[in-house]
Amino acid sequence: MKNRLRVLRAERGWSQADLAARLEVSRQSVNAIETGKFDPSLPLAFRLARLFEATIESIFVEDGAPTEQGPAKPEV
Amino acid sequence: MPLCNRHLSPLQRRSIQLFGANLTLTAVLTMGAHEFYKQAHPAVVFVYLLAGMLTIPVIGVIVVAGRYLKRETDEFIRMMVVQSLLWGLGVTFAMDTFLGGLFAFPEIYRLIPILNLDLFCVTCGFALRIQLWRNR
Repeated sequence: MKNRLRVLRAERGWSQADLAARLEVSRQSVNAIETGKFDPSLPLAFRLARLFEATIESIFVEDGAPTEQGPAKPEV
Repeated sequence: MPLCNRHLSPLQRRSIQLFGANLTLTAVLTMGAHEFYKQAHPAVVFVYLLAGMLTIPVIGVIVVAGRYLKRETDEFIRMMVVQSLLWGLGVTFAMDTFLGGLFAFPEIYRLIPILNLDLFCVTCGFALRIQLWRNR
C-alpha cells in the first residue's frame, strides 16, 4: 500500500522521530510505514488521519486503486 | 535502535529481565537435575517431580512473552517480536529434530543436556537484533 506520509511530514517540517513521538510509536514504525514495509492497523491509521487533519484515503492509497487522474491501468 | 538499553521502555526492560531470569533458572535446573540423577539415583517419583520442575521456566517464558505482546502498544515492534518468537521456535524444533535423529545412534550421540529454552531465547534475541538492524 502506498502512502503520502513522507510528504505530509515534510510539509510540516517534522522528522520521523517527531512524528513517532506524536503518534506514541517507535521511529522504526514510522519508517516502516513510510517505506511501505508495514501497513498500520485501523486505529493507527485513524490517529495519523487526525494528526494530519486528513482522511485515511487521502493518506493511504491501495496498490492499483483508481486515482484522481482516472482508473489505474491494468498491469501488463 | 530501540530495544537497546538506552531506549527500552519499562515494559521491555522488565520483560528482558524476566526472560533472563527464566534463562538462568532453566540452565541451573537442567544442570542440577542432570547431576542429581547421576549421583543420587532418585526414586521414580522424584524423577517425575524433577522433570516437572524443569517445565517451570518454560511456562514462565511463555507467560512473559504473552504478557509483553498483550501490553506492547507499538504494533510494528510487536510484529517484529512475534516474528522473532517464530524464528526461535523454528530453530529449536529443527535442533530437536536433528538431535532426535542422532539419538538412534548412541555411538554418535553423546548425551548433551538439551537446553531448549536457552536455545529458543538466544535465537529470539538474535532474530530480533537482525530485524531491528534491517529496520533501523
